[in-house]
Amino acid sequence: MLEYLAYLSIMTGIYGILSLSLNLQYGFTGLANFGHVAFFCLGAYTSTILVVLVKGPFILGLLGGMVAAGLFGLLISIPTANLKEDYWAIATLAAAEIVRLFFLNEDWIFGRGPYHGGAFGIGGIPRPLQSWFSATTYPFFYLCIVILCLVLTYFTVRFLTNSPFGRVLKAMREGDDLPLAMGKDVSKFRMKAMAFGGAMGGLAGSLVAHFWSFIDPYQFMPIETFVVWAMVVVGGKGNNIGALVGAVIIQFFYISTLFLKDFIPIDPQVLASLRMVVIGVLIVLIMLFMKEGLIKEKKRVYQR
Amino acid sequence: MLKVIDVHKSFVGIKALDGVSLEVERGSITGLIGPNGSGKTTLFNVVSGFYPKDAGEIYLKGERIDELPPNEVAGKGLCRTFQISQAPEKMTVLENMLLAPKDQMGEGLWNAFFGKKRVMHQERHNLEKALYLLSSVELIDLSNEYAGNLSGGQKKLLALGRILMADPEIILLDEPTAGVNPTLNKSLMRLIEDLRKEGKTFFFVEHNMKVISDICDKVYVLDFGRKIAEGTPGEIQQNEEVLEAYLSGSSREWSRKVGIDT
Repeated sequence: MLEYLAYLSIMTGIYGILSLSLNLQYGFTGLANFGHVAFFCLGAYTSTILVVLVKGPFILGLLGGMVAAGLFGLLISIPTANLKEDYWAIATLAAAEIVRLFFLNEDWIFGRGPYHGGAFGIGGIPRPLQSWFSATTYPFFYLCIVILCLVLTYFTVRFLTNSPFGRVLKAMREGDDLPLAMGKDVSKFRMKAMAFGGAMGGLAGSLVAHFWSFIDPYQFMPIETFVVWAMVVVGGKGNNIGALVGAVIIQFFYISTLFLKDFIPIDPQVLASLRMVVIGVLIVLIMLFMKEGLIKEKKRVYQR
Repeated sequence: MLKVIDVHKSFVGIKALDGVSLEVERGSITGLIGPNGSGKTTLFNVVSGFYPKDAGEIYLKGERIDELPPNEVAGKGLCRTFQISQAPEKMTVLENMLLAPKDQMGEGLWNAFFGKKRVMHQERHNLEKALYLLSSVELIDLSNEYAGNLSGGQKKLLALGRILMADPEIILLDEPTAGVNPTLNKSLMRLIEDLRKEGKTFFFVEHNMKVISDICDKVYVLDFGRKIAEGTPGEIQQNEEVLEAYLSGSSREWSRKVGIDT
């Protein structure tokens, strides 16, 4: 049971990183990024390639995953610079699918040697320092790594959003015209928000790859993006603590349906789909009765 | 200071600007009037880089600016306000003010992370300036209020305050007095005159003829995208063509409003 709790906490922590990074993009900058899972996917795959194929250390995989996802964030903000919000959202959704389909179809990447790739996924991704721990204690060690990454992400996002840089992002959230009239190069700021949020999403991706030690393209379906969106919207957009609280709540709903089968006699398959219904209802309720989420954005008060 | 030469701008089926030429002199307060739909705001949008012009040239301090994006035009020292408030509503009045200054070190990521001391220093300096300006536009008591909670008139004041934070050389104001109460209006006009004495240049759209005749050195009149008159406020009020433009049909009410004797 305790190990299961550790597993839960690890997954919550990883989703917490995703939620924080989407909050930077959507909650603070107003970027309706419907392709957040692309960063998650790229982080996972890049890290796997660097550790499994290049035989690099875990930390190289982690950093590589962040750089790859960050660069991808930068890349997709270039051709989409002139799109209005809804079209921009569609473009990001498509970009995420391109990434996933790339790894689904380009199986030559892992083609040689004992690894498969493509639709078969890649197994045997090494867990860092696994030999130092027993099977029962390892999750607790990994939990420490995840918490460390989560804390670093939290403070980075908090620092960024409190800085003058974050002030421009917040101004862009309500339209480009005013920041433009004040001489701010909004497309550059947008790129930076995409790159930074992307790198953090990539970090979550490599963490998940080395924890599961198996990844395949079906783990990175668009639905993952919307789970993260649910976290931000439920917890409170524009509030970093809110994003974390949202991650905990949504994960709780996600998991609780697993146990429901012990109490209610329904087909587990149906139950699995019911999760999404539960999350959907939760979002609708939040939208109707608590537009700003459970934890409202904090007002920034300046004192002399 | 600002020179507009034969600028054209059409939207589908409508000639919004039809060969407008005008000049705003350094240190002057220049007014722009005209009936609704005469192209005043379009001219502001073209000058500030928000709309691309179809033809013509625009110079700021002798430098051509009509090909530049709005943020670069602002960087050259020309800032504008909007007719309808664009203030980010989920930011406080002070945040709005602190957003405006140019060359903020903390907006670059490198400095935000590694130049903390200098960024803090600059922030403190900007904060002092913001508080000073907020008291001159009489918004100091609302410093930490969300901009979205301000009244229409207060948002106009905030727009003026914010633009002064950016410290441009020439300021384009789109109907700065609309919705501002008369008492505040007077102090606003005084503020503009004081700033002019400090060397700032103003170019503004205004419907209130009293304001125009009180503080403008020169007035341009637009009608159907054309400049129909220019001169001192006194000359404009006597100008036959101006009177005629305002007397025609739907403009009658407007002329009454601005106090041209019909």
